[in-house]
Amino acid sequence: MKKLLIIMISLLSVSTQAQITKVSLQASGLTCSMCSNAINKSLKSLDFVDKVEANVKNSTFDISFKPGSKIDFDKLKKKVEDAGFFVARFTASMHFNEVVLQNDNHVTVDGNVFHFLNVKDQVLDGDRTIVLLDKGFVPAKEYKKNNRFTLMECYKTGVAGSCCSKAGLPEGTRIFHVTI
Amino acid sequence: MRKIFVAFFLFSAQFARAQELFVFTEPASNMAAKSIGLRLNNYFMKDLHSNRINYHLLPEVMWGVSKNIMIHAEVFLSNEDQRSLIAEGGSLYLKYRLFSIDDVHSHFRVAAFGKYSLNSSYIHQPAIDFYGHSSGYETGVVATQLINKVALSASSSILHATDNGREKFLFGNRNRNAINYTFSIGKLMLPKEYTSYEQTNVNLMLELLGQTTLGNGYSYMDIAPSVQFIFKSRIRLDAGYRHPFIVKLHRTAPAGALLRLEYNIFNAY
Repeated sequence: MKKLLIIMISLLSVSTQAQITKVSLQASGLTCSMCSNAINKSLKSLDFVDKVEANVKNSTFDISFKPGSKIDFDKLKKKVEDAGFFVARFTASMHFNEVVLQNDNHVTVDGNVFHFLNVKDQVLDGDRTIVLLDKGFVPAKEYKKNNRFTLMECYKTGVAGSCCSKAGLPEGTRIFHVTI
Repeated sequence: MRKIFVAFFLFSAQFARAQELFVFTEPASNMAAKSIGLRLNNYFMKDLHSNRINYHLLPEVMWGVSKNIMIHAEVFLSNEDQRSLIAEGGSLYLKYRLFSIDDVHSHFRVAAFGKYSLNSSYIHQPAIDFYGHSSGYETGVVATQLINKVALSASSSILHATDNGREKFLFGNRNRNAINYTFSIGKLMLPKEYTSYEQTNVNLMLELLGQTTLGNGYSYMDIAPSVQFIFKSRIRLDAGYRHPFIVKLHRTAPAGALLRLEYNIFNAY
């Protein structure tokens, strides 16, 4: 019985950690294959990255991850910037288990805090793709434009502040602003 | 004038893709952080006095320190003053990215750069050349624009020549100072469509390279066409030729070819 419990717990923990199945990002500011390769190699150097499938023509990169690893969106973004470029679009494919979603509100999924913007209140279930809206994950113009979707200061700082105390988040917690 | 510029840009855009990895100048873009580039620069310059071809070999190491800073270190070898190849000095070059505005397939970037060069060879000419001739320092700004995959780049810098060790600069103290200015345009010829990193890229470039001495105001201006091949998205082969068309500022071997081999190691450490 104890063994069965351990197996069940370990299975459960794997399934929650594997909630982010894939990240697709588009880099901006490049047209040359050597530049694209610089991003490709830069992304592959992260320990949690398993495979990078690059589309040279569109500057897009489909990234899959090593099972059980902690996926860090900020580190992925930084690798693109280290190669000398910027992220123009960043999406993550995730598996949700009946997550209740409210517009302009925080929800914690698998250890990541998401702040959903410009969405209808709904229950998320199954495989969905979220689009990151934080500074550095979209072009600067778009980031400014999306300002209209929230009054909360965490959109500007990317971390929990006084605005987020209602959600019970400790100050300084990383918050990813996303939409569907 | 503005209309002409707009027309020129629109016209340029018709060419579709371009490159900004220029052959005779550096663009405002930096190499990737934590990457190392190795270069062998070979200059074959026709000497106007002896009529022989001077060979300059400049091995170079490039290092992407961070996304904003890159450094080049170069060694100068040449057979200009004797029959065999000897080491004559070296240089350090630093580029700092000041700002960058990026869109999906375009960007505008500005960088500041500085170069320090040490050379022990004979000083043959009043023109200042930090690629294997003169000692001194240079600092300037470069701006590069990529619009609809056409790359344009312009730079301006101020130079100061010192003595080459015991070899004195004899062309007057005021002529130790000069201004360099460059304009470059690049176009990608092949592949027509990107499908993988294994494709060989072929680029054509055209560059204008000028210098004006601040003492007597004499100038030179060269036109420099070049072709570039990029293999496996990490090996670069450049072949270029510089041809002078303004020659008031004297150089002993102004015309000649550049052949460069470059190998890039991404995430070297």
